[in-house]
Amino acid sequence: MRRLRAIAGLAVLCAATHAQEFEVVSPQPDAVSVTIYRDLFALVTETRTVDLPEGSTTLVFEGVADTLLPQSAVISGAGRGVDESNYDFQRLSPASLLDKSIGKQVLLTRTDKRTGNVRQVPATVVAANKNGVVFRTSEGHEALGCSGIPEMLTFESVPDDLHSKPRLSIRLAAGSAGKRQVRISYIAHGFTWSADYLAHLGAHPGGPADRDTMDLAGWITLQNLTHANFRDAEVQLVAGRLNLLDAEEDRGTSLFGSTSAYSLDEALAEGRAERLEELREELEDEIENGPDVDFYFGCYPLGPQRPDGIDVITAEDIGRFPDDNLAESLQRTSGMELDEVVVTGYRASIALRENLADYQLYRLPVRTDLNARQTKQVAFLQKPGVKIDRFYGVRIASDEDYESYEAYGNTGDDIVPLSVKVAWRNVAADGLGEPLPEGLVRFFDTRTGGLFAGDARIEDSAVGIPVEVTIGRATDLTLDLRGSDDELQPGRFSWLTRNMYMPIHMRIDNAKARPVSVEIRQGKLYDELVGLRVIDANLPPSRKSGDYVWRFTVPANGSQSLSYKVGGKADPDDF
Amino acid sequence: MRRYSCWLAGLCSAGVFAAGGEDKQVSLTIYNRDLALVEHVRPVNFTAGRQRIEFAGVSARIIPETVSFAASNLELLEQNFDYDLLTPNKLMEKAIGGKVTVIRTNVATGKETSEVAEVLSTAGGTIMRIGNRIEVLRDDSLPARVVFDKVPENLRARPTLSVLVNTDQAAAQDIRLTYLTRGISWDADYVAVFDEARGQLSMQGWITLTNNSGTTFSNARAQLVAGDINVTDSEEMWRQSRQATAQRTAGRESGGQPQLADYYLYPLAQPTTIANNQSKQVSLFDAPEVRASKGYEVSYSGFHSSDAPDSAQVRIRFSNSKAGGLGRALPAGVVRVYARDLRGQPQFVGEDLLGHTSAGSDIALRIGDAFDVTVTPTVLQETRVNKRTTDYQVSYLVRNARSEAVTVTLRQDDLWRVNEVRAESIKGRRTDSDSFAWDVPVPANGETALVITVRQGW
Repeated sequence: MRRLRAIAGLAVLCAATHAQEFEVVSPQPDAVSVTIYRDLFALVTETRTVDLPEGSTTLVFEGVADTLLPQSAVISGAGRGVDESNYDFQRLSPASLLDKSIGKQVLLTRTDKRTGNVRQVPATVVAANKNGVVFRTSEGHEALGCSGIPEMLTFESVPDDLHSKPRLSIRLAAGSAGKRQVRISYIAHGFTWSADYLAHLGAHPGGPADRDTMDLAGWITLQNLTHANFRDAEVQLVAGRLNLLDAEEDRGTSLFGSTSAYSLDEALAEGRAERLEELREELEDEIENGPDVDFYFGCYPLGPQRPDGIDVITAEDIGRFPDDNLAESLQRTSGMELDEVVVTGYRASIALRENLADYQLYRLPVRTDLNARQTKQVAFLQKPGVKIDRFYGVRIASDEDYESYEAYGNTGDDIVPLSVKVAWRNVAADGLGEPLPEGLVRFFDTRTGGLFAGDARIEDSAVGIPVEVTIGRATDLTLDLRGSDDELQPGRFSWLTRNMYMPIHMRIDNAKARPVSVEIRQGKLYDELVGLRVIDANLPPSRKSGDYVWRFTVPANGSQSLSYKVGGKADPDDF
Repeated sequence: MRRYSCWLAGLCSAGVFAAGGEDKQVSLTIYNRDLALVEHVRPVNFTAGRQRIEFAGVSARIIPETVSFAASNLELLEQNFDYDLLTPNKLMEKAIGGKVTVIRTNVATGKETSEVAEVLSTAGGTIMRIGNRIEVLRDDSLPARVVFDKVPENLRARPTLSVLVNTDQAAAQDIRLTYLTRGISWDADYVAVFDEARGQLSMQGWITLTNNSGTTFSNARAQLVAGDINVTDSEEMWRQSRQATAQRTAGRESGGQPQLADYYLYPLAQPTTIANNQSKQVSLFDAPEVRASKGYEVSYSGFHSSDAPDSAQVRIRFSNSKAGGLGRALPAGVVRVYARDLRGQPQFVGEDLLGHTSAGSDIALRIGDAFDVTVTPTVLQETRVNKRTTDYQVSYLVRNARSEAVTVTLRQDDLWRVNEVRAESIKGRRTDSDSFAWDVPVPANGETALVITVRQGW
């Protein structure tokens, strides 16, 4: 591929009506840079060297990615004004070739199946559309592929406006002649990346909770779902939530609707993932069947028999399937996924991070080939010994938070499950201090010999942001909300103060042979209560995001009780 | 039915003239959404009497009822738009009751024999009478070609417009054909490279023409109309009713473009070829130095606590006034914003929709959410004042992980009818009858808590 560089910028003189109109074709880029976004697209930047003549010139970029969004193209470095740019969606295909041949003369070849005798007749294409082809010979009008005789149309030449490779052409104003480095950037669909984390929770048996650590490793998995190949490309990834408009409604960039319609990051990730699967299928289908499949196979009714279907595949037919390698054939037959997976990450080549506007940009350390339908992985984060907080927690509240346990009105099952929590501060002092792009964190517990301990999704989190995730449900640890002897007391309302309080009694039993750290959070019990207040607690509470919170250690094979009253101001009409 | 087609056939025998594909001139006036006015000027040689003129090369997505036809000394009798496409199936269907030739090939000898057949039916299979026997075409799967003498006149390879006219004298004259068509539209697209350090946008405006009309218009004179015209189409009305939120204040400067009634006109400087299935971009303007700034905004409606921080929205603010470096009306379109990375290469950082914006307006493009600038809300205290009124004491912890200081505009929106700020740690301002805003300065790699007490009631 690279040896062709020398002829890049081949100038072709156009013998057109205008004396000073030139066409310069650039067959491929000298250098290419691909910036992949999570939102199913990439920004492709190509540098091409072209030799521009003096007159006004049409510059043709051949071999651009065909999922290109034409209105996103930006051209710089030509040193002249760009009058216009054109992108033809029509590619050279059987369909477009026939369409352009309507009214033109072609050669009809009929082959005798038995003898192999060939007869050729000149014919004129009268109509060609997805319902069939009608042609005219000296005998009269006939429909193609209806007679049961093998028939083929041969064309004299490819029409000038049909090209096999996707091409973007721009018309430049006249200017001084010479070699130029032209840079063209465009958005192309069919790319994505995601971050995954591996967290090995450190073993400090018997040690205090604040000495718990984890080794955090981050991996980027990037995917090229298109059939475009990028040789020796600089690859970047952008993390952050971009405002994107819907591709169909607003001619924007997003294939999964306007991003502002997703208020939660989690919903956005879901919408994106769903569309990703569809897109993968669409692109695969296109690779196998071409962009316009249902063309010129129509015929008039022929009764029960099919016109000329292949009933039996004989040995010699197999070799005619259009696969050029074994992997492709295997895939066709078994539906196996054989996408190449390349793992390039190791400690020495970790992706480098920089700020890009208000996002994070990761740069792959070396140039790499980004091939069609390829998945690549690269490490971007290696942080050993990050200080973490491991504890067990529960939140008691009435709001929609699905992790909350609704205490009021629950009479039967009052053994409340506790969640296994891991929390950290994303600061350098605790061994981290790196922006973390959204992704799935898989936790492994070295205390249990490296067993998988659960996973959790984290959102984009900047330096300085506290992160807290739930990775599972506790065993050998129970919270008994009935307490040791009391039933839940009904709420009491004071007509004087308009305060209403409900007593809460709980006991946490630890059947583990080690002490554990437990966090109890108390939110509002009724939405109707104004203000949240806790009184008469046997342990002093602190506050966390508006909630009251208790943090204590439950000794090995021991228990701890907590009791308090929770409430607020009530409107007497509500009760 | 039969009588009608005979009458038609009688008229058609009057003589057919194809008005070529050769336009002396073709002009397009293209509207924003899937609508264009096309005018063809074509030379035609008329003979005296009644005749039919066919117009090849008109848009396949023509709206036939909008066709008008201008020529002198001509009586227009009838106007047809035939969009019955010629397909093998239609060809056989129209042959019902007529004669075709069936040519069979002997598979052993290759010898051909031909017979004349009458087509009886095409429902589920082609049934034909050959001599005095009835058979289903190719019921035996053996090769049999069917040859048709002619193609019915109203079956076309492409949709075709024709007019039936009457004239007294033979003459050559230019006729003018105008119609509205679907499938052609234009949109504005903007590319803006933001240089934060210099506080500048380098902005290019492009007009993107898309043609899916099925027809290529060669060397057309084109002009574009900006502005939402009234279209009685529910989808289009819905589209227009959605608001682009980027425009902040309305401008009062005239846009520097010729106006057509209440719309702006953008004529293209030179004739251009608008090919079918093509997307074409034509330069609208190039403004390398537009004054711009970046801002962070977060708005809350109601009061709530959250563990997870909310990212601040990043907005690029500029004005399309003369003083700001732009000085032109901007037709509706998508603005794609780029910023340079450390190596100086422009990278895409987000996009926003701009409505038709008159010159001199203030614009704030939302490009995305800041990774490193976040707000964590906590309701510190709710205090009941009386039956209808409550005080909310809220802390908004604004964190900045960037290496430079930022200012975040925090808005408290959608308050109840009675509302009042009772206390604030940073001086704010009322922005609306039901909203307040505070500009919160946050140092580099630091945080600032805005604590406010808002009384609201009804």
